[in-house]
Amino acid sequence: MPQAFSMKGIVKVYSDGTVALRGVDFSAEEGEIHGLLGENGAGKTTLMNILFGRIRMTRGETFVRGKRAIIKSPHDAMALGIGMVHQHFMLIPAFTALDNVILGLETAKKGVMIDRKTAREKLEALIKSSGLAVDLDARVEDLPVGIQQRLEILKLMYRGADIIVLDEPTSVLTPVEVDELFSFLRSLKAQGKTVVFISHKLREVMAITDRVTVLRKGQLVRTVKTAETTQGALAQMMVGRDVVFTLTKKPSTPGEVVLSVRDLKVRDVTGRQTVKGVSFDVRGGEIFGIAGVEGNGQTQLVEALTGLTKVQSGTVLLGGVEVQNRPPHVLYAQGLAHVPEDRHRRGLILEFSMLENSVLGLQMREPFSGRFGVLDPEEMEKWTQKIISDFSVDVSSTSSPASSLSGGNQQKVICGREMLKNPRIVVASQPTRGLDVAATEYIRSLLLKMRDEGKGVLLVSADLDEVTMLSDRMAIMYEGQFVDIVDPSKVSERDLGLMFGGIKREAPA
Amino acid sequence: MTQQEAEAAKAVAKPSWIPWNSVAESGLAIIMGFLVGGGIIALAGFNPALFYRGLIEGAFGSPRALMDTISYMTPIMLTGLSFAIAARANLFNIGSEGQMYMGVLAAASIGAFVALPEGLHQMVILFVSFLLGGFIAALAGWLKIKRGVHEVVSTIMLNWIGFYLLTYLAIFVLFDPLRAYKTTTILPSATVPFVTSGTSLSYAVVIAIVVCIVCYFLLWRTTLGYNIRAVGLNPTSSEYGGIKVSRTMVTAMFISGGVAALAGALEIMGRFWYVDTEASYVRNLGFDGIAVALVGRNHPLGIIISSFFFAMLKTGGQAVQIYTSEAGRTGIPLEMSLAIQGVIIVFASIPSIIALVKKFTEGRKK
Amino acid sequence: MADAGLLEIFLTATFYIGMFRFMVPITLSALGEIVAEKSGVVNIGLEGMIMLGGLASVFVGYFTANVWLALGAGIGVGAAVGALHAFIAIYLRGDQIVDGVGINLFAYGIGVIVLYLTWGTFANSPIIPLSARVPSIFGVSPFVPFTLVMCALVWYFLEKTTYGLRLRAVGENPEVAEAAGINVYRVRLAATIFGAVLSTLAGAFLGIDWLASYARDISAGRGFIALALVVFSKWNPLILIGGGLLFGFFYDFAISIRSGIVPDQLLGAIPYIATLVIVSGLVGRARPPKASGKPYKRE
Repeated sequence: MPQAFSMKGIVKVYSDGTVALRGVDFSAEEGEIHGLLGENGAGKTTLMNILFGRIRMTRGETFVRGKRAIIKSPHDAMALGIGMVHQHFMLIPAFTALDNVILGLETAKKGVMIDRKTAREKLEALIKSSGLAVDLDARVEDLPVGIQQRLEILKLMYRGADIIVLDEPTSVLTPVEVDELFSFLRSLKAQGKTVVFISHKLREVMAITDRVTVLRKGQLVRTVKTAETTQGALAQMMVGRDVVFTLTKKPSTPGEVVLSVRDLKVRDVTGRQTVKGVSFDVRGGEIFGIAGVEGNGQTQLVEALTGLTKVQSGTVLLGGVEVQNRPPHVLYAQGLAHVPEDRHRRGLILEFSMLENSVLGLQMREPFSGRFGVLDPEEMEKWTQKIISDFSVDVSSTSSPASSLSGGNQQKVICGREMLKNPRIVVASQPTRGLDVAATEYIRSLLLKMRDEGKGVLLVSADLDEVTMLSDRMAIMYEGQFVDIVDPSKVSERDLGLMFGGIKREAPA
Repeated sequence: MTQQEAEAAKAVAKPSWIPWNSVAESGLAIIMGFLVGGGIIALAGFNPALFYRGLIEGAFGSPRALMDTISYMTPIMLTGLSFAIAARANLFNIGSEGQMYMGVLAAASIGAFVALPEGLHQMVILFVSFLLGGFIAALAGWLKIKRGVHEVVSTIMLNWIGFYLLTYLAIFVLFDPLRAYKTTTILPSATVPFVTSGTSLSYAVVIAIVVCIVCYFLLWRTTLGYNIRAVGLNPTSSEYGGIKVSRTMVTAMFISGGVAALAGALEIMGRFWYVDTEASYVRNLGFDGIAVALVGRNHPLGIIISSFFFAMLKTGGQAVQIYTSEAGRTGIPLEMSLAIQGVIIVFASIPSIIALVKKFTEGRKK
Repeated sequence: MADAGLLEIFLTATFYIGMFRFMVPITLSALGEIVAEKSGVVNIGLEGMIMLGGLASVFVGYFTANVWLALGAGIGVGAAVGALHAFIAIYLRGDQIVDGVGINLFAYGIGVIVLYLTWGTFANSPIIPLSARVPSIFGVSPFVPFTLVMCALVWYFLEKTTYGLRLRAVGENPEVAEAAGINVYRVRLAATIFGAVLSTLAGAFLGIDWLASYARDISAGRGFIALALVVFSKWNPLILIGGGLLFGFFYDFAISIRSGIVPDQLLGAIPYIATLVIVSGLVGRARPPKASGKPYKRE
């Protein structure tokens, strides 16, 4: 079959120095469904965003239908027949489905008026032929997510796309909707269109694709024919461990249960079930890790555990006391420490000085707040100095604004603050995200130290290396639930990869 | 943040408690105000140099002028402080006019019609004023939280309502039976003594400065102040930090309104001892406060300095009219200082021109 | 007029003429702001723009005695101020609220200056010559039908034309709009200028039509009432007509029953109390355009 498109030697380096793609070759044939597989940060979305014109490549070449193509914007991509359905839909919730489709199109008008009639006719014909039923007059915000996705696809087809890229399409679908999507994709294939299916879900990739390309850490691992491979092999390619850091870990001596979660369920504002009944315990003196590709409910779980979101049902016991749905300051008083996943949005107030940030969450308590709520600057300074010395924070003055610290030092301040509280348990969410090597090592050693001092640590991270290296016990989270809880030192890469893709390991192989 | 950026930022953040960047911005705004003002004056056919000379003479030319200038600081310092406190919580309390009128009301009524021993009398008036103004402002805050009403709209409406309430009561209830244009003069026990007789400077300015210092202390040295500033800068991190965001916002509005009310009360107790039934004595002091706060960078200490500057514009402006008048032609009206004030605000309201220009050019380069 | 009993005023034509008159400035200003906010830009400086429109048109009208030039001055000033606000809000990504407050204060100060320097008074300017005033047709100002027609036109534009769809997209979700090929900056610039021009026209109506003069308090809070009207009408120009008439009614009512029984002060407060109550209570939770007031950065 002729090649629909071909990308050669794609390199992408961001302005802050991050290397997202290290020279990747990727192509797809017409009339095939080609899977693009990899973990978080492997580069799949980045690669496709380059094809779609949302991101510019640093180096490389793209050919579409054999001809060299320069794609500088989504407009250019669409003109070449390339369309992409992103994880976050490019839809306007307040508009109707019909209006979303015709937005920006020059052809949908009669003079200055919107020609909704012609557009409607065309769309209804398209709906009939494709089998993608959408209520054109409904407002997008009223449509269920699965239908919104159909609309996105419809949009692409209305514009004549014949290369269709779907980024993690099944993450928002129910199993029935997944089946419907798959039969639709097969009909596209029958029409000779090309589909790129980005996913981390092994079972689905095996079910629907003709070929699979696996990326890992910005590099191409291999492209294989789906029929000639297995889930296990793919899992190994996807996860293939290069252990970059080695940390010596003492054997853990777990003590009492400090955190106990039973059947926790969380619903988001649209009614979607993001956490579907999670139960686990964390003991003092152990690190309990939660691994998994982002977007499987980890963020919502953490926010529920730390008092930042409402819990739908279930119980959370901290030190034996029920704390679900209590506000953060109550949890802190009960011995919770939280290193949040977004240090700029949650963990720090960037315009505040380092001094003031070091007491965030503690500013209403002794010894910082005295009579009549007056703050004690001496105590605050003492506390801050302790953080600086105990945690090697590199800062010129405690009155410098937090924005002037590097990411690593900011994280050290947060960790220092949280750990010096002498908590029962530290909940650390993506603690080394965006940090350089030295800071990363340091933060990880801090977590180990907490654990060796008898505290409980709940580590949530999308970095599999990190979680397997640090955890004593580990859960893999997939679609709002724990696939399994395992001992990371005793589980194989292959099984891990499978669990990441949602498949619980079979009986010992 | 790259290595160089981090270094540069560290250099800027070097300890020196005068925030040079902010002073430069305010200074720039003031200079632009005068330049544009000078341009307008020249266009109108006057000599800008005369204007500036008259301004300075009128403000500091004599001990008496200086004392008048200082006394004008009092109300605008407080209304400025009012705006600043709310601004720290990222709320726009434009309602200092109305809140101030509440203070005027409290002073004109309790001061004239309730007999209390001296000392107690003033304290009661100030206390009631604070509550009234605070309540009105807190109402606007509550409406924003519960019903999504933008505080600019609600506080402006309350301004007018407050104005009409004041004038109504002034004409029909508090009026002076002998002189219908004013309210009953307040009892001596309710007044704030003058520093020197013959000037308009009373100890009210001391009270105002004390309030500023108290608010400085409140904002930077107490948990409540910490919470208010945190909510204004980053509500999500504040939530994480255990702060009740909505409650803090309403509290900030309450304090803001109370302080504005004090401005009104002190004008009556310290300067006039009554108010005219059209409330013209106290009009616009609220809006002046906004200019003071913006130039003072929403910082109580900066506001004290800024209020001096704007008071200077006021007293100086009055003298200018005489200075620049020639035979057969009236001089530059004192409202010129209002226009200059307005230009200063426009410039002061363009946040951090320096940083924005930097952002702009950076964006172009990419 | 003073003898007209409370209910009898509703039977007079003057009452209804008055109601429409009051409706014009707040509705025009609110209409302009609806367009601007639908594109994602908030303009608090409506009050100042009304003043500037009134000032410019009265000034030019007084000296040229030509109503067209006066109107042109009003429009020109609107374009200039609108561009300024757009520049600050859109390109410099400055604080839209503070900038609006600045415009209000500046307009007030400039207005008083010009008032004094030109006519030597702080109260009202003299009445402008007849040829500079907008002529009325059968006792009704052409601004009235103009306002109503504009509301209908803007509604049509927003709902039925492709450009209106794009404008609304920009205000809801600028990233999606940009991805669809729309130039967000340009759309917002145009919308802001249009909004400003309508506000200055409202001022011109006050200056060269109804009052035929300029006074420092010519606007009297109308700019802020317009803001309330925008929310009240849920950003819908057709509902705005009703809202404008409602508020016009309150204004007119307050004036008309000035009979000495109920004190003027309480009457004067009616429009503002009504605004506050309506905006807090009746409206419930109207939803503004999603991206309203948020600066947009093109990646």
